[in-house]
Amino acid sequence: MPAIKAARSAGGRGHGPLLPPCVLHDNFFYRTRTDYMPTINEKLTEEIRAQARTLLADGTVAAVIGFARGSLPMTVKPVVVRAAADCGRLVWNSFCVLNLANYLPEVLKSVEPPRGPRDPKPAGPLPKVAVLATGCWSRNIVVQTQEHQVDRERVVVMGVASRGMVSRRKVESHFSGREILAVEELDHDLLVTGADFADKINRWSVVRDNCQTCIHPDPVLVDVRIGEPASARKNPNPFKQVDDLEAQTSAERWAWFTSEFSTCIRCYACRNACPLCYCPTCFVDDARPQWVGKSLDPVDTGLFHLLRAYHCAGRCTDCGACESVCPMGINMRMLTKKLNKDVLNLYGMEAGMQPGSPLPLTTYATTDPQKFIVTEAKAVKEDE
Amino acid sequence: MKVFRLSQAELDDMVQQWSTTRRVYRPATGRQQPAQADCAPGWERAGDGAPLTVAAGPSKASVKTFLFPQPETMQTYSLKSSDPDRALLKEAAKAADKQIVVGLRPCDARSVQLNNLPYRDDPYYQAGLVRTVMVGFTCKAMCSTCFCDQMGGSPMATEGLDIAVSQLDDSFVAEALTPAGEELTAGLDLTPAADSDLKALAALRKDCPQPDNARLDTLKGRDLNTLYKAPLWQGLGESCINCGACTFICPTCYCFDVQDEVVRGAGRRIRYWDSCMFPLYSLHTTGHNPRGLKMQRTRNRFMHKLKYFPDRFGPFSCVGCGRCVQDCPVNIDIREVISDLLTVE
Amino acid sequence: MTTQTTQTSSTSQTSQTSQTAPWDPKIIAFLCNWCSYAGADLAGVSRFQYPPNIRIVRVPCSGRVSENMIMSALKSGADGILVSGCHPGDCHYISGNLFARRRFALLSSLLDFVGIEPGRISFSWVSAAEGEQFAEIVKTVTERVRSLGPATRLVKNIDTVQTA
Repeated sequence: MPAIKAARSAGGRGHGPLLPPCVLHDNFFYRTRTDYMPTINEKLTEEIRAQARTLLADGTVAAVIGFARGSLPMTVKPVVVRAAADCGRLVWNSFCVLNLANYLPEVLKSVEPPRGPRDPKPAGPLPKVAVLATGCWSRNIVVQTQEHQVDRERVVVMGVASRGMVSRRKVESHFSGREILAVEELDHDLLVTGADFADKINRWSVVRDNCQTCIHPDPVLVDVRIGEPASARKNPNPFKQVDDLEAQTSAERWAWFTSEFSTCIRCYACRNACPLCYCPTCFVDDARPQWVGKSLDPVDTGLFHLLRAYHCAGRCTDCGACESVCPMGINMRMLTKKLNKDVLNLYGMEAGMQPGSPLPLTTYATTDPQKFIVTEAKAVKEDE
Repeated sequence: MKVFRLSQAELDDMVQQWSTTRRVYRPATGRQQPAQADCAPGWERAGDGAPLTVAAGPSKASVKTFLFPQPETMQTYSLKSSDPDRALLKEAAKAADKQIVVGLRPCDARSVQLNNLPYRDDPYYQAGLVRTVMVGFTCKAMCSTCFCDQMGGSPMATEGLDIAVSQLDDSFVAEALTPAGEELTAGLDLTPAADSDLKALAALRKDCPQPDNARLDTLKGRDLNTLYKAPLWQGLGESCINCGACTFICPTCYCFDVQDEVVRGAGRRIRYWDSCMFPLYSLHTTGHNPRGLKMQRTRNRFMHKLKYFPDRFGPFSCVGCGRCVQDCPVNIDIREVISDLLTVE
Repeated sequence: MTTQTTQTSSTSQTSQTSQTAPWDPKIIAFLCNWCSYAGADLAGVSRFQYPPNIRIVRVPCSGRVSENMIMSALKSGADGILVSGCHPGDCHYISGNLFARRRFALLSSLLDFVGIEPGRISFSWVSAAEGEQFAEIVKTVTERVRSLGPATRLVKNIDTVQTA
């Protein structure tokens, strides 16, 4: 059957029966050209590898958290590199949608010398860990420090200015579901190849919503700088999506909410990809009382998303990992974005931007706005 | 076995006719709207007149949701003081009406057979099998993430289907393979397939990738402890975020948990999907958890599919649909895991 | 999964205490032990009348009331929820209500955002000396909930869930 054979050979099965079919997206075509110039991401990749090698070789850090090439187009694998010789695995491209701060507390723990639960902390400094961080990820490291999940002294932040990460879903929907076999990234374009098509699309047009509205692309913590700092990005209204929804009626918003979350399968990828979620027992796992039922009842699903978002209030950096990892393509980021907007408007705070000050919900001001409070005076007024 | 030849219009018409008397489901084409909230995520009701097209590759959500619903209500009870049957568990009313699933792929059909191995004595799964008629579409091409042939299936296989629909150029050939399938086609004005159609179908089937599990079957002979202690799990466990996406989209993951839900005096005992990725999965009441570490949970999923299940039942508990490959947030690729396992000494 | 997960809460009519009795709102009131609960007590002792629709849950401090409790009350079929604590500055624990104020501001805004009717969930400050004010607030809250009708959004209902 020629159709099958064609698709399979395009998938690169020549590598062996089970090897991932597509490993062509690492600028394979581009490299073969005579006028080859390294792209921005290739330069960053080289720099990341070199810096990681140095940090590991001179013993500054015990591990480096970064990304390795994925087995499919537009994917990367988060990896922990522990030897200078393995640093060649590290890559940097526009598909690094996961938030690496998510791995930090666990990796920090893993490099500590093993000890029992009641053994004292060993004397002397504990091994350090290096982590790649863009603007939002570095802000998450600030939040983790504020919440005592991470010891800042033990983290070496390899700061990379983000150019905005690409949404795999946007690219896929641009090609209306036709299978994409290879994506090659140039500086401002993506070359997308399928079994029966090849096209060039503008990179920025498929960058994730949260990155398109981001005004803090440059890391707030930098111990080792990778590449150039980003120039300040202006956005007259980063909360436009939220504003548009707020302009609708209550019934319309309810319709949006029920429809948006109706496809949730409760896999908790959004929760687990989030660097803010580190509770040993999540509220969804509480059985007595059971705050949220565990099956696909629409009320339970809605409550899960509301409470999950609410638990991120004042802490969310809008890194977009939750939305990017959702297998069903749910836009749960809208809820946290709304909370970010309120926190900024009410308390003038943005998560991770004020390392020295407490988080918005762990502090208060006597002058905090309280328009939502029912007062007796208002009660009288409404009676009139 | 009866074989028919159908045009796209005749195919749509056939589905339309089924939907007048039965519930017919097809893979959702777009994002589900609330009007179709009577379907599991990823599926929608067919019969709205829209032409039936099935995108290449497996559907977003697997067929297991029809046989292993999320959740299955097992028992109901009342805790209202006024109820004379207070606190008495009653068997939940079971639906017996037929449901028709249209557009599943051969890999999904095979998953139903595989899940039937552990669930052969499970009354709920068996009841689901009896009432579900599966009208599958064989695959014209394999996606780059498909590896059904490696796992003992084939893109043109019909195993487990009641009706298998295959595309020939611009028309379809439908094979009614079981009594349930023949019942569906009976009474419809369908054109029997000509000899040339049958020949073309046979040629397609002969030409397509055949089941080839020779390479993987060597895993079955391997020592369990060696695989269990292989160093590769450390790296996998480190990058895994322990979400349940792979297990929930997987057609052959069948673990469940049981819980009681009571709302305003009305109670039900449900079983719902569980995932070995979750910390509660094997937590004992003592507080001890034999799979307390992330790495142990990640390992369990692969060891179960590739070692424990075949040791117990024979085949691998994987049909090679590639859903987990596509949707894993951290790109853990089961094909790479298999390749790595095969090199473990 | 066919019709088991199918009923959207909007179709449920769950708040009636029985099928025949006319609907009367049921409101859960989380009152702090030191001010609002004492205020409610004073309203009773002073014979200020207020609607009998509230069911009081006494909590140590309004800061103790978590979003889980509020959502759980809503899920279980409360038509309205009132959370009341000491006036800012008067908290028995110095600042519990000030932390709570920030949390409630964000919660009420988020719930409004997803389409929960404003007025379903109310917050107030009532001191131990404000019996009359407590009665007024309960009147207002009850009337607001009454005008909204029975709660349907985010109300779980397993009665109507059919076993397919």
